[in-house]
This record gives sequence, structure tokens and C-alpha cells, in this order.
Amino acid sequence: MKKTLAILLFLGLFVQMATAQKRSVSGEIREKKTSELLPGVTVLEKGTSNGTVTSTDGQYQISVSEGATLVISYVGMTTQKIKVGSVSTINVNLESAYEELDEIVAVGYGTQKKTNLTGAVASVDMKVLDSRPIPDVGRGLQGTTPGLSVVVPSGEIGSDPIMKIRGQLGSMQGRSSPLILMDNVEIPSIQMVNPDDIESISVLKDAASASIYGAKAAFGVILITTKKGAKTESVNVTYSGNLAFQNISKKMEMAELDGLEYTTLAFERVGGVVAGAFWQMTREGYDKAKIWQETYGDVVKPNDPMLYGRDWYVDASNRKIGLRTYDPYDYMVNEWTPTQTHNVSVNGKSGKTEYNVAFGYLDQTGLIKPSKTDDFQRYNGSVRLGTYITDNLKVYAGSMYSKRNKSYAYATSSTTADPWLYIYRWGPTYPMTTEDGDPLRSPAYEMSAANTANQETNYLSMNGGLNYSPTKDWKINFDYTHANQEYMEKNPGTRYTARDTWSAAVARNDVDGNRIYVNNAGEEVPSTAEGAMPAYQLVMKTYTSVGANPDHVYQIAQNMQWNTINLNTTYDLNFDDVHKFNFMLGMNSVSMTSTSNWSQITQLVDYENPQFNLAYGTQTAGGNEYWESQLGFFGRMNYNFKERYLLEANLRYDGTSKFPTDLKWRWFPSFSAGWRVNEESWMDWSESWLDALKFRGSWGTIGDQSVPGSLYVPTMSGSMTSWMISNAKLYQFGTPGAVSTSVTWQDITTLDLGFDARFLKNELGLGFDWFQRDTKNMIVPLEGIPATFGTGAPQSNYGSLRTNGIEVQVDYVHRFKNGLGINMVATFSDAVTEITEYGTTQSIDSWYVGKTYGEIWGYETDRLYQKEDFEYGGDGKLQKVEVTDPKGTKYTVYKQADPNSPTQGRLQSGNFLFGPGDVKFKDLNGDGVIDPGNRLLTNANGEADYGDLKVIGNSTPRYQYGLRAGADFKGIDFSVFIQGVGKRDVWGNGFLAIPGFNSSDGAMPQAIAGDFWREDRTGAFYPAPYNQAGSNTSLNMQVQTRYLLNMAYTRIQNITLGYSLPMSVISKVNISKARFYVSLENFFTFDKLGGLPIDPEVISGYSMWNSSYYNMGRTGIGVPTYKSASFGLQLNF
Amino acid sequence: MKKIIIVLLTAVTLVFSSCEDYLDKPSLTTMNDDNYWTSENSLRLFANGFYSNYFVGYNSSWGVDYASLRGYTFSDDLASSGKQGGFETQAPSSRAATSETAAWLSTYTGSTWNFAWVRKSNLFIERIDQMKDDKITAEAYKHWSAVARFFRGYEYSRLVSVFGNVPYYDKVLLDTEIDLMYKDRDDRTMVMDKVYDDFVYALDNMRLSDESAQYLNKYIAASFISRLMLFEGTWQKYHLNNNEKAAKYLNLAATAAQFVIDSKKYSFASDFRSLFGSEDLSGNKEVILFRQYDAAIGVTHHIASYSNGYESQSPGPNLKLAKSFICNDGKPYKLSTVENAGKLNIKSVVATRDPRFEATFWDSPKKESATLLYACKFIDREGVKLYPGPYPAKYGSNTNTNDAPVIRLAEVVLNWIEAKAELATLGGTPVAQADIDASINAIRNRPLDATATAKGIKKTAPLSLAALPDDPERDADVPALIWEIRRERRMEFVFEHSRLLDIKRWKKINYMTNTDPDNLLGLWVDFQAEYPEWLVKAKEGKLKVKKEDGTIVTYNATNKADMVGYYIPENVSNRDAFTERVYLAPVGNTQISEYIDKGFTLTQTPGW
Repeated sequence: MKKTLAILLFLGLFVQMATAQKRSVSGEIREKKTSELLPGVTVLEKGTSNGTVTSTDGQYQISVSEGATLVISYVGMTTQKIKVGSVSTINVNLESAYEELDEIVAVGYGTQKKTNLTGAVASVDMKVLDSRPIPDVGRGLQGTTPGLSVVVPSGEIGSDPIMKIRGQLGSMQGRSSPLILMDNVEIPSIQMVNPDDIESISVLKDAASASIYGAKAAFGVILITTKKGAKTESVNVTYSGNLAFQNISKKMEMAELDGLEYTTLAFERVGGVVAGAFWQMTREGYDKAKIWQETYGDVVKPNDPMLYGRDWYVDASNRKIGLRTYDPYDYMVNEWTPTQTHNVSVNGKSGKTEYNVAFGYLDQTGLIKPSKTDDFQRYNGSVRLGTYITDNLKVYAGSMYSKRNKSYAYATSSTTADPWLYIYRWGPTYPMTTEDGDPLRSPAYEMSAANTANQETNYLSMNGGLNYSPTKDWKINFDYTHANQEYMEKNPGTRYTARDTWSAAVARNDVDGNRIYVNNAGEEVPSTAEGAMPAYQLVMKTYTSVGANPDHVYQIAQNMQWNTINLNTTYDLNFDDVHKFNFMLGMNSVSMTSTSNWSQITQLVDYENPQFNLAYGTQTAGGNEYWESQLGFFGRMNYNFKERYLLEANLRYDGTSKFPTDLKWRWFPSFSAGWRVNEESWMDWSESWLDALKFRGSWGTIGDQSVPGSLYVPTMSGSMTSWMISNAKLYQFGTPGAVSTSVTWQDITTLDLGFDARFLKNELGLGFDWFQRDTKNMIVPLEGIPATFGTGAPQSNYGSLRTNGIEVQVDYVHRFKNGLGINMVATFSDAVTEITEYGTTQSIDSWYVGKTYGEIWGYETDRLYQKEDFEYGGDGKLQKVEVTDPKGTKYTVYKQADPNSPTQGRLQSGNFLFGPGDVKFKDLNGDGVIDPGNRLLTNANGEADYGDLKVIGNSTPRYQYGLRAGADFKGIDFSVFIQGVGKRDVWGNGFLAIPGFNSSDGAMPQAIAGDFWREDRTGAFYPAPYNQAGSNTSLNMQVQTRYLLNMAYTRIQNITLGYSLPMSVISKVNISKARFYVSLENFFTFDKLGGLPIDPEVISGYSMWNSSYYNMGRTGIGVPTYKSASFGLQLNF
Repeated sequence: MKKIIIVLLTAVTLVFSSCEDYLDKPSLTTMNDDNYWTSENSLRLFANGFYSNYFVGYNSSWGVDYASLRGYTFSDDLASSGKQGGFETQAPSSRAATSETAAWLSTYTGSTWNFAWVRKSNLFIERIDQMKDDKITAEAYKHWSAVARFFRGYEYSRLVSVFGNVPYYDKVLLDTEIDLMYKDRDDRTMVMDKVYDDFVYALDNMRLSDESAQYLNKYIAASFISRLMLFEGTWQKYHLNNNEKAAKYLNLAATAAQFVIDSKKYSFASDFRSLFGSEDLSGNKEVILFRQYDAAIGVTHHIASYSNGYESQSPGPNLKLAKSFICNDGKPYKLSTVENAGKLNIKSVVATRDPRFEATFWDSPKKESATLLYACKFIDREGVKLYPGPYPAKYGSNTNTNDAPVIRLAEVVLNWIEAKAELATLGGTPVAQADIDASINAIRNRPLDATATAKGIKKTAPLSLAALPDDPERDADVPALIWEIRRERRMEFVFEHSRLLDIKRWKKINYMTNTDPDNLLGLWVDFQAEYPEWLVKAKEGKLKVKKEDGTIVTYNATNKADMVGYYIPENVSNRDAFTERVYLAPVGNTQISEYIDKGFTLTQTPGW
């Protein structure tokens, strides 16, 4: 911070030095489009308080120093800075800040006027990134651009958001995510971009616009263009800073006493007497826990020590029974953790040289309370410089540096069972506090005792190139980038020493070895006292064994290098301003190499300082090396007839290292066309209200090769086995899989039709796109390979799928005469993906042709069974009877009162029989049996064979929308940004979503524990207690409509209130813009999850640590998402 | 300007000229099927991949599949508190896998519907064949194809033991061979004839030793062959009444075992407990193959921890198992004249029975076992002394390092004698006393360790053909000699791989119905004398014993003295009724549907 100030001061002085002799300047100021004279415009001499405003007829006169710069500003207009040269008259045309019509948009290797775009290209309104307390650009893009889906699946700081363009699935093997390009060069993560460094962002959505980028662009391109320098002779310094405070965004209400009741009823239902691991629950324990709650519930505070006799006891079978309940929120979540962001940039132009220098700093603190450190820092620096050596030769160079560093508690090396898994696994009596001043073994303790791991990513790119114009119409561009990324991760382990809550309790004796006795308040009493019981305590010990995870120090270093060459030449040909042609030929090549190695030594000497030199156990090491490359040649032609008819054609010849030699190269064409209807003379009648109307259409194919490079090679990897001979592990080479030798490019073909229209003097805009994207020759496993084949099916270009979707954008901007400006942008998009080719399978569990991607098959829930649904014997008990289904299979079930009621015997197993409070399903096919048939869409006879199943939902996000509305008045601005998903369903997994997922372990949300079926609560939402023993698809929890999680949500993503100081005030201190704002990010979310502590954006099993099986794929088990409140400052000099 | 154009043109030319090289980037870190198979060493490294799947021992880390004690917890030897674990009640939705982890079905103690290992061994056989002429010697060819065929035979033996009929493949399937992939199951006898051929080939061609005694050799192979052929021979006899095939397989079992016995390489020189609890089995003469563990190398298991007295055992060993142990006078307890042989409390049983009882079990009641009888067989004599902990790494958690006997001479001789005895019933040579002496009596003559000697444990008297005990407990349909052989197996292999498979092949799955009340009881216990800790309030109404006459006494605080009887595990109840279909496992509904989807049929296992 001090450094930043120093730089600012220095720059301020620099600007000041230019003052000298006085001279007079005058002129008039007009609105550019209408040429109306503008009254009330502020004209200031930069760096002074010297200024004036234009008269009612738009005239001004001002006396300024020699060499001064005029700053001309007007609310709602783009501020201009003009250097006063030798002239005495300076007329200025101001442009509306919301001007859309002549916007220049970055497209593949060039720019295009927005009006002349023929492909599906969205340019991101950069205002959405303004004054947002967000750590990266990706999160900022959520909801801004129709067709760009951004999901933030957890609150892990430093993680990348998941971005997809047009649909959730592009292909099975390849990636479905867009190519992120910064100045035409791929960058590995959007996190490394400093938001203040960005000039513009374009999203290229269809094949025609993205195809020029070739082999990696099949699923769209996010094209970021950086600031290169100023257009006019000037120096601009900007600073922005933000201080935010974060808190958990959704309540984390876990069950306490009600959860114990659930557990007790669940084991009693099957004749059990106890449940639990390490800490157990019995009926006696539950009854005592109720008393504890009444007596101590409001008295005992979370950090009070655990007392034997009061909070827990050991029963005769030597079982530890907990009575006190602990709320994990108290131990795991920090409230209002700070984050600060600072960005400074200097850009300008001096003679023939333009430059831009920018620095950024982010320091974010996470929510995890016990960790010694939980933060994420990012440093950005960039320099870009370009100069004209001659009038037709510009040489430029640039460099960008980004450093990211995430620090966190290294509690375990496991990504399938980290402390969060246990937090949401063990029931409420599992202690989290201390005993006799010692910590207790718990996930929170382990996080607090863990040493701090860090992940550091250093990215540096060096870029240079030239633009050469041999003639006015002919340009040659050459650009070379070398990028180098170092990734280092150090995991310093430890061993845990605490009172071991997992092992048996031991007798608690005094110093003389005599047993201590306590009463039920935990107070020491004589052994003869009423209610005295011999006391126990937990054993203080180092419970992680020597050398076992995480008693080690581990480090990995990875180096990745990219070399990218872009070379292209363009030629403009113009006949009488009627036929305009632009031709481009070019090539680009990208090669990447990656090497990594890791090492680990177990058995640390000093747990305070885990080092390789201070460990003496087993040393292991490994490494990897990878390379790949792509090379493409392309041509593009644009034809523009009278600005009315627009045509573009691309052809690309692509090669990749990933396929067999004879299948490496392919041609990919694409075309697009546009018709600007309003330019037709016969449309003159609409001139008064229609400013633009353009119809667009495009078709094109892009090859995708974003798949592993050895799909066609029967690889045999070597590894150590766990079988030893003479104290050495055996080394083995694995079985080669089955491969297809003809794996080649996947073809991504997009057809796009759309229109753009603007009305009411450009104030209202409407854009629409319909698209159909086919993924043909999709690389998938060969369909119909049964287990007898003995290995996974070979993968090749056997499948196809199709995504259809629409995208709509409406924008409106208006400024009232009184100066009040309003603006609004609304976006909507939807996409559905369907399988169009995949063998002949009819299995609903496979990818049958016609299947909608993400569809969920399940039963339709009727209701919960009630007592009166069953018949009772003379003893008042349920009666077991044997029923036979139409296939002749016999089941033992409880006798139902209605003999015609369908039987659910097929869905039972083990000791579970459907009874009162259990789920009753609908007999959709009316055969009297609830069953899934053969799970075939149609069987050999062409009949439906999926029993009572139906499609009950879809896991892909549908109907995504965003709405940004803003207003400004006299320097005050206000904006609200809302974003949401209209429909998404998830069949949950794990403790937070499945009632009774493992009631023996005990954790469950209060939403479940407070609303399950009991004889006195027959209208409950959740069924009668039963221990599902880790299954999320069986018994009562068959996939079904009633418990399908509705993940639709509406989120008020951001609310910002800002105030810009008037120019007259700030110009005295050399400032051309000063704005303060407060902002609430992600503060209000409306979802339909009924109080389950699950964020509607979560993806089961997804994390930055493990993207498919994090914490065993359990829904919502991970770092909770956060909201933040912030205030910030923006200064321009 | 010209310079710039020249530079650019040069750059383009360079890029063009090296196009193909530029895109030629094969994997740097893997071998592949086309370049891997170059020498005998390639074969050895590939064969290494089979070991952890077939020679599981104590598995590793927390793994329980095919692991002694922790894996084999489903048999008539055991009872748990609460309801007894049952067989599955209906076909599962899916029962298929293609992964190469050693996964299994615990209630069948065998492989799931997984043909990955079939493919692996077939691929191995095919590659060895391709290397035959130029890359390896004829001797190496014979040995390695014997190794590969042994593993194929082993895999099919496992599949057949679980599913009965299974499709048989002797080649790597191509993805175009749809008819083969989707063929219905082959008859088990046809499959086992193929296995027989593989085993005969293995015995004829495998090396007697291959670098280390721990690499698969003919002795190890022969030992397993005796196990697997005994299984099929007795199955053929008892289930299919196919005496011809029974004799064929039993003969191979006997021949293979005989080969091992005749080699004189192995002997009963170790006490019983040392077979399981030793840190190093390399010098143990009884052990034919063992699995090594070493904390320094990071390969450890958790089987000793669950024998350490502190970790609980549920299910635990039941009264029926204890009663089946022979007394040290060589007689069943009802016939025995050893003093206190009829007293069925733990202390007396330890004192009067075969030494293996003392070596297998804790010598007093332990609450850590569901039946109060606790097995501490898989830990050394020192580890159990540390109860209730703390335990050093080798006795706690998943960091145990005692070696696991994978196969040992005792099993070979018991396979041998049983095969011979069964063959005798099929018209073969009658068993001679010398055969008994070389097998059962050799085992009974194992040395005793110091702990046992100090407790006054005595070796069991030899079994005499002339004076076979006439055990009143014997099933009427089992000849006395075979009854005694089966008893010997039961005593020898508590918590090892064999019990469930044994009662299945003998067609005695009805033992699992627990019609004998002894199956659901612990041993005799006098709570006041032996376990007063449980005569407390919390146990009122829960603690139960059963008197000799069948009356049940429930503890009620006033009847401490009356709490003497067979211990009834808390809330014990019988497992759900089942039928004979549980001899073989069903395949998954998904697998059947998959065949229907393609117009083929996969027949479900009978009864399912």
C-alpha cells in the first residue's frame, strides 16, 4: 500500500511539471451523433482547478497554460482529454458513454464494426466488472452474456469458475470449455488476468466466428484484448481499490438433538440397540441427551471444555455415549473475513510510442476458521509497449506476469475424505472442543494443528511482434509469444496429538492413582456421594502413526511452456465503396511441453518445521512429461456490398499431434452472412424509430482435438505394486486396454441464425440467436460392450450429439433531460443437448439415441405410507406375507390393507420392508408392481421396458438469465445485477441430501431431522428413519420426484451504490475521476432447497482438488460459498 | 522492409518444412503393446501385476477383500450380536466390473462378474506365444506360458466357484466379436475341464524355482492347484453326482499336493501362532508362499490390529466352532476322557483342546468379541499383552507389518488327504495310516511355542485309522474319516479363506441356517467369576445366558450368582431364511438387460 502511494505521488508530480505560459482557447461542443450543441459541459485544464462550463449554445472559452490538456466531461458522455497545441479553437464532439452502434468488436485476429458482424459474437459490457468485489474476471462474467454459462461450485478461494459456452456438454472425451485467449494467445486460467488490464472481452460463440482459431476453439472462445496505450497524446493514471468482507452465504444448520432422535429411531426400527462409530447412541443416551439439552443447552458455550458425567459417559459395554451437542458452524466458519484489491495502471502515448503499465494485487481471506492460514493472493504486472519505427511498421512487445498463491491447512493428502467430509459425517455428539485443556481429535482440531500448504503458480509470458503495411491496403502481422508457467505445491504434514475421541476412554485418576468420581454435572465428588460415577477421560496421544498420512513433506514442481506463433496478412480491396473485400491468409502454431516431478519423505523430525532435510522415513518420487502441438493454416474472406450485404468465408487446415499420422490433418470450412435490412432504401419509412436491423446466419465446422493424445495407442503404464520380494516392491506394467486405431478429429458444426436490432435512437437494443451445434464423430466408448469383454470399450469417433439453444439480449439506455440516466441489460439463454448417434442401445442408463443429456430417470412418488395402509395382526404388529410378481419372483412384504395396492417388494433388500412412513411410489404402468423393468427404452419386441420409471428431471442448468439495471444522477450511481438459473435438478448424494444416508455416523441437516415421518408427524416431508448405510439410490431413496433437489435459483449477484465527486472539486487535486462505492456481492439468494445447507450452484464431487470424486461425490460437502460486502475507490489522474 | 519480408518468409518456410516433426509427439511416459514385449524381463514385469490379486494374504492398508480375519467373516463359525448377516435376497441391480483391483463378493468369497483378469491372462498367453520364436528361449517360453495359464485357471476357478456356469474365453476378444462377448454361460464342467488342462500344463512346464522362492514356481502353483481342484472335485461329487469328473479333478488335486509333499522342501517346523504373527516368514519351513510387509517401504496391513484384543470382532467365533475342536486325547469332547473336557468355559476349553485353540483364541472372555470369544490368531504373542493399548504401529491402525502366509504346507496335506479320502469313496485306493501320519498327524505334531508350553498345553494325540472317533455330532451322511478330515480343516483355518467355500462344496450350506442353537451362542461363562464388569445397571434386561437345559436367564441385578451359562450375544437373532440358490451368486439385472438390449440372452443363476 505504501508503495502504491509513492508511485501515485511521483506520477502526480510528473504531471504538474508541464505548467508555464498562459493562452486562450475557445470552441464549441456538440453531441457527436446528433450534432446538437451541448450546454453545461465542464471544460477543465488538467491538473488545475482552472475550468469553465459551456454556455446555453454550447460555447466555451478558457485561458490555459502552454502545453496544457483540456479535460472535457459531461454526465453520460465519455470524457475526452485534448492536448492544446498551437491552435486557439478546439471543437469537440462528445460521444455517449453508452454508444453501441459504432462499437468496434474484437474478432478472430482483428476487429470488426459491431454493425457488420455476421457471426454470433457477444462483446461483454465492461461495466459489469466495475466495482465488483470479485477475485477474478470469470466470476464477473456470470450472467452477463447469453450463451456463456459460468458456475461457481464452491467457496474455495483461488479456484477457477467453470465456464461453458452454449450447453453443458460439447463432447464426452474432449473438453467442453471455451478457449480463453488474451491477445490471440491461449492462457491457462482466467484467474491470471488483472481485470483492470482489460480493454474488451468478446465471446465468440458460433463456428463461423471461432473457427479462425482452429483446433482448440470448437467450444467457443473468450477473447480478451488488453489495454495497449492511449489513442491520443496523454498520460493516464488510474487507481482502484476495494476492501471486502466475506461471510458464509447460506445457513449451515446441522441437526442436533433431532438428529439423535433420528439415529435412535433408525436402529430401533431394525431391532438394533446401538449405532455409531467411536461415539455411539443408545436409547438411554438419547434420553439423557434430551435432559442435557434442557439443562445445559443454553448454558454451555461452544468452547467450554467437555466434562465427563455431564457431557458424556461410558456405558457398561464400554461405549462412549455423547450427550452434549456441537454445532460445526461454531468451530469451522469465520465470519466477515477481509479481502483487499488494489490496481494501478498507467497508460499513454508519447510521440510514436504507446504504452500501458499495470499492477494488481489481491489478498483474499477464506472462511475456514481453524486453519492457521487460509488465504489467496494474486499479483499481476504487465507492460505493453508499441512504437512506429516508420509510418508503416509498428513493432511491439509486451510481458505479463501473474503470481497466484493459495495457502491452506494441510490436514490430509486425501481429496476424497478431507476434514469437510468428516464435519458432515459425524453426528452432533462428536466432540469438537477440549478436555482438561487438551484439544480433542476432530476435523476442526486437525485443521488447526495442520501446517500450511501452499500452491503457487507463476506465469510469465513474453510477447513480441510487428504490424507491417507494405501498402495502405495490405497488412502483415506477426506475433510470437513464449509463456512459461511454474506450479509449485508444498504440503508440509504433521502428526496429530490430541485426546483421542476415536479410541476407548480410560479411567480418570488423581495424582495418587485413585479413581476420580463425578456427578452428572461433571463435578468431582466423593465416591460415596449420591449419583457418583467413576470418571473416564480420553487418552492424550499422538494418534496418527509414524509415517502415515500426513506425517510427511511433499512437494511438486511443474513447468509448462507454450510457444505460440501467429502470422497473418490481410488485404483490403474496395471498388467504388460499393464492393469491399478483405482477404486474410495466416497460420498459427502452438506447442506445449510440460514436465513435473514430485517427491515425498515420511516421518518428520520437527512438526513445527516440516522439511525434506528434517525427515527420515520412506522417500518416494515420481514425475511426468508431456508434449503436444497444433498447427493450422487459414484463409478468410469478407465481402461487404454497399454496407448491406455482408459475407464471410473461412477455411482452415488443421493438424494436431494427438491422432495417428494419417489422421492428423483435416480441412474445416465455415461461412456467415448478414443483411442489414435497415440500409435498404425501401426501409426508409422506419427511419424514425428503427436505427438498425440486421439478420445474420452462419454455418461452419471446427475440428476438436481436446482429447488425450494416446487414445489410439494401447499404452502400458508402469507402477509399483504393493507386493514385495526381499523388501522391495515389485514393479509391474499394466494390461494394455482395448483401443481403436482410427481415432481422429471430432467435428463441431454450428448453424446459427439471429438478428440484431436497435430502436429509439439507439436507446433500445434487441439481439436474438438460435443455434444448433452438432458434435459429430464424437469420441466415445464403443457402445454395447459387456463386462465379458474384460476391459473398457475402445474409444473412437462413434457418437454424435446435438445441442439446440437460443440466446436473447435486450438493452436499454436513456438519459432524461434532468440528467438522470438509466440503463438496463437483460439476457436469457437456454440450451438442450440430445444424443443423436450412439450404437443401438436402448438402455436408459446408456446414451440411447434421443436421450437428453443430463436426464434423470426415477420413480414418481405418490406419498408416504401411513399406518392405515397396512394390516395388523392380533398382536398389533405388521404382518409379513409373501407376494409373487408377474415374473414369478417372490418377495416378503408387510401386508397392505388394500390388496390391490401395488407391491414394492422389488425395491426392498436386507432387513428393510416398506412400512408406515416409508415412500410409496406410483405404479405408472399399472402392473401392480413397482419395478424398473429391464431399464430399456424398448425391448426386443418394441415395447417400453422401463417399468414405472420416467424422466423426472435434468441435471443441466436451463433457462439461465441475468439482469443488470442501473441509474445515475448527479454523480450518484446505483446498479443491481441479478442472475439465475430457471431449472436444474440434482439427485443428491451424501449426508446433506439423503435422509438417513448413514444415520449411524449421525450427521444430517436440521431440515431433515426436524421433518421426518413419525406416528405423530404423519404430514412430514421426509420418510420414517432408516439407515441407508451409504446408499443414495435404494429403499426409500430410490431416485424419485419427491426428493429430487430443485437447484433453480435467483441470485442478487451484486448491488452497488457509487458516488463520483464533481469535476469542479477533484480537478483541484489533479484528479479527473474520483468515485466511491459500496457493493454487496452474492448477498441474497432465493432457492428451493427447503433449508438444506446446499448452495444451488454446487456440483456433487466437484472441487479444485478433485473434479469428479471430491469427498466421495457427496453433494454440498466442501468449503461453503460466501457472500461479501465491500467498499471501494476509483481514481483517475 | 525487404528484410522483414525475408524474415517472415524464412519463418514460414521453417514452420512448413518441419510440419510432420512438429506434430509427432508420442507419449513420453508409457510403453505400449507394440513396443513392450521384447525380452523375458518384460514377461516377469507383466506377471508381477497378478500377485496382489491372487496372493492377497493380509491385503494392504485397510483392504479387507480376500484378507484373513477381516475378509472372511461370513460362515457358520461365527455369530454376531443382533441379527446375523444374511445372504442377498434378490439379484443386485448390477454386478459387473472391469477394473483390476482385487474386489470380491464377501458372501461368496470370490470374484464379482469381472472378466478383466481373464483378458489379462489371455493377453499374456498370446504375447508369450508371439515372442516364442525369436525373443525368448524355449525354456522361458514354457515357464511363462505355464505361469500365464496357471493364472487363467485360477481366475476361472474363482468365477466358477461364485457363479457356476460362466462364459469361457481362451483368447482376447476383439471389439467386433459381438457373438462371443454376448454368448450365454458355458457349462461349469466344460469350463473346469479347460482349467484342468491349464493346470496340467502349468505343472508340466513351470520352473521349480524362479530367481526367488517368492516368485511363482511349480511348488506354489501345485499348492494352489490342490486347493482349486479339491473344490471342484468335491463339488462335482456332492452337487452334480458326476463321479467321473470328480475323480478326474480330485486326482489332480492329490497329484499336485503329492508333488509338494514329496519334494520334502517344506515341513511342520513352526508353531502355529508363528505362522501368522511373525514379522518375517522367510525362514518358516511350513510356508510355501508368503506376503511380505514392511513399514519402511510403506506396505502394511491392519489384520493384526483386529487381533490385538482391543479392536472389536463382530461377528465372533461361536460355541459350535469351539465344540468342533478336538480334545488333546484325539477325541471329540463328548468322547474325551481329558479332565474338564466337558466344561465349555473358555479356560477349560483352552486347557483341554488341540493346541490350535489356545493359539487362535484369547484365554478369557472379552467384551470386544460379540460372543466373548476373541480370536487373536493374526498377531504375535507380544502384541496381545499391550491390551488395551496404546499400541505401537505394528499392532495398531493399518500399519501392521507381520507377514501373511499365503499358502502353507498344512493346507496342501489337508487337501491331499481329503482328495485321497474322497477318491477312496469313488473306488480309489483306500487311505492308509501312513497317509494320515503324513498329513493330519504331521500337523498335530507341530512344535508348541513357549507360551503354550507354559500354560501346560499338550499336543493332540495322533489320529488312528483303526480307532476313528465316532463323534456323536457327526452328520449321518459323512463317513467318519472324512468327518475327521473336515474337522481338521475347521480347526486349522479359523478366519482364513476356506470355511464358507468348504461347506458349499460339501453341499452343507444348511450349516448357515443355524438350526443348531450352538451356532448363535458363545461359550460357557460364569459372569460373577469371570466377567463381573458386566453385572451393572446398564446390562440389566440385556445380559443373557442360557442354561444347559435351555432356560434363559436375564440379568436383573439380583441374580448375579445365577448368571452362569452359555453367553447369548446381545439381541442375537437368526439370519433370514434362505434357499439352496445361495450356493451360487446371481448376476446383476443390468447385465441381463444388457443382453436383452442386444438380442442375446444371459441366463440368470438358478433360483434367482
